Amino acid sequence: MDELLAVVGYKVRSSDMAEVAQKLEQLEEAMGNARDGISQLSNDTVHFNPADISNWLETMINNLDVPPPPHPPLPQQHSDYDLKAIAGKAIYTTAARVKPSPAESSSSTRPLVLVDSQENGIRLVHTLMACAEAVHQNNLSLAEALVKQIGFLAVSQVGAMRKVATYFAEALARRIYGLYPENPIHHSFSDMLQIHFYETCPYLKFAHFTANQAILEAFQGKNRVHVIDFSMNQGMQWPALMQALALRPGGPPAFRLTGIGPPAADNSDHLQEVGWKLAQLAETIHVEFEYRGFVANSLADLDASMLELRPSETEAVAVNSVFELHKLLARPGAVEKVLSVVRQIRPEIVTVVEQEANHNGPGFLDRFTESLHYYSTMFDSLEGSVNSQDKVMSEVYLGKQICNVVACEGVDRVERHETLGQWRTRFGSAGFTPVHLGSNAFKQASMLLALFAGGDGYRVEENNGCLMLGWHTRPLIATSAWQLATKSVVAH
Amino acid sequence: MKRPISRDGDGNGDLLKMKKVKVDGDADAEENCVLRGMRYFDDNVLFEVLKHADARTLAMASCVNKQWHKTAQDERLWELICTKQWANTGCGEEQLRSVVLALGGFRRLHSLYLRPLSKPYSSSSSSSSSSPTPSSVWGPISQAPVAPRPKPLPPRLGKDAVHLSLSLLSIRFYEKMSNFNNRTR
Repeated sequence: MDELLAVVGYKVRSSDMAEVAQKLEQLEEAMGNARDGISQLSNDTVHFNPADISNWLETMINNLDVPPPPHPPLPQQHSDYDLKAIAGKAIYTTAARVKPSPAESSSSTRPLVLVDSQENGIRLVHTLMACAEAVHQNNLSLAEALVKQIGFLAVSQVGAMRKVATYFAEALARRIYGLYPENPIHHSFSDMLQIHFYETCPYLKFAHFTANQAILEAFQGKNRVHVIDFSMNQGMQWPALMQALALRPGGPPAFRLTGIGPPAADNSDHLQEVGWKLAQLAETIHVEFEYRGFVANSLADLDASMLELRPSETEAVAVNSVFELHKLLARPGAVEKVLSVVRQIRPEIVTVVEQEANHNGPGFLDRFTESLHYYSTMFDSLEGSVNSQDKVMSEVYLGKQICNVVACEGVDRVERHETLGQWRTRFGSAGFTPVHLGSNAFKQASMLLALFAGGDGYRVEENNGCLMLGWHTRPLIATSAWQLATKSVVAH
Repeated sequence: MKRPISRDGDGNGDLLKMKKVKVDGDADAEENCVLRGMRYFDDNVLFEVLKHADARTLAMASCVNKQWHKTAQDERLWELICTKQWANTGCGEEQLRSVVLALGGFRRLHSLYLRPLSKPYSSSSSSSSSSPTPSSVWGPISQAPVAPRPKPLPPRLGKDAVHLSLSLLSIRFYEKMSNFNNRTR
């Protein structure tokens, strides 16, 4: 039922709207042309259920004895479009789009063009799926035609749907034309995008807060602590941890941080700069601080011996990874190697935050569908944010991920997200057992969201000891914590 | 309200009346008193009086004039306000003071984080209480009691709210450190 008309009391099915409009035109024309006057419509005609406009119109028309209009021909077919391949009414619906005048002589009727944005939204999704299917089947000429359609349809949408469709269309176009994006992107640019993403929405903050809580608990009672961060970036996670350590009853432990990151394209030592800033902070709050930055193209290049580990009696170690582990899945054996290195480190705790989605399935179409849903939800959650510049940058940040998931393959496709369940299996078989996150992490996360302007839709959920942050009913990221299976003492 | 103020500080009687005016939170009365005679109070007396003010009053007091502004912004007063409000954090006073002052101070901590957290999440309270997530064990978190205005005491904040506020303060400090916003390299 069409909602707008339903509000005023008329029942019309959305799919009948085109027909109803057509009938109204017919009726109008007939009433204008009626030779015998139209008084019989009010006097003699019996109407049933006037709320049902379609039938009411039918009755009226029949009573005026108007011949039915010729069945409108289908729109012109362009030679390079072969859109019949699309199943169902995705592109064509009978008499829906442009209707040329029924009789050339009658100049009073106007062509009927319906633009229903809701229907266009559905068409947009169908076209995206059809295009992905065409790509999957390697029918590139069809895919090309469809990608152009997506462009037109996307313009008729507003908000999140429009942006998501545009990014996916671009990614599909790149795949079709073989214009793969540069990989890796200039590091300072992607850092900057991540900073905007950090400010706009609570995902990264949630990740940092929940991971820090687990690390804090694991470090209870230890005098010297060492964090190895696989996702150093700007070091935004560590001020809060250092502050919490500084305020520990009995005073702070000695804090050592090893930051690992990819090389900067301009050869600047940005890892070292981040280290300096953290050192300054540490000095301000009187925490003994030591820092080492490691540049590595891939985490798999690391060896435990490089990390200058000290005996575990003197130093407790935590390993932290936020949105980094999934990149290892692009190379076979890489993630297994990294997990075995982690085991050699013998950490008290390993904190992992990953996207909660399966974007690493073997089939392109499945990956496409999954990521379409995931990023639509993500973009929806961004809609409520206040600062428009941050929002745009966050969208670009996500857009790059979309591009990678859809357009790239092989070692270039690094955004190989997997679900919590899949990571659980992987960690389990690598010799780790889960550490449950506490209710205080849950509470802090919930409060963080409450403070966060721009969206009541965020939800924190607990899932067998892990915490997930999602938008309405869809979980989007998951934090989990792990310890070595051989440890006899549970963290708490 | 017209009151005779004795210049040579016929102290306690007037002091008590002044205090009473403040605790009532009546801004108009305050301001009248200020304009008529309070300029003769010295900073220490003002400080002692403001020690008993609640957060809202203290904030309003800093808008009165330059002397009041200087005194009401004193970190020690805001430290009192903050610590009154929260449960024991477990660490020593000195320890807390040095860290918080280094990271931006109690006044900022209060206005940026503690105050929003102690308002019972007016915008999201409906969502957090109406739809508890099915798989969560702990359900919606308990909220601070709703404070009808005007209220003499602010609601007490739990440990988690305090830790969250301190974390956010430290992040803000870090973000504002030099070179953070320098994204052109």
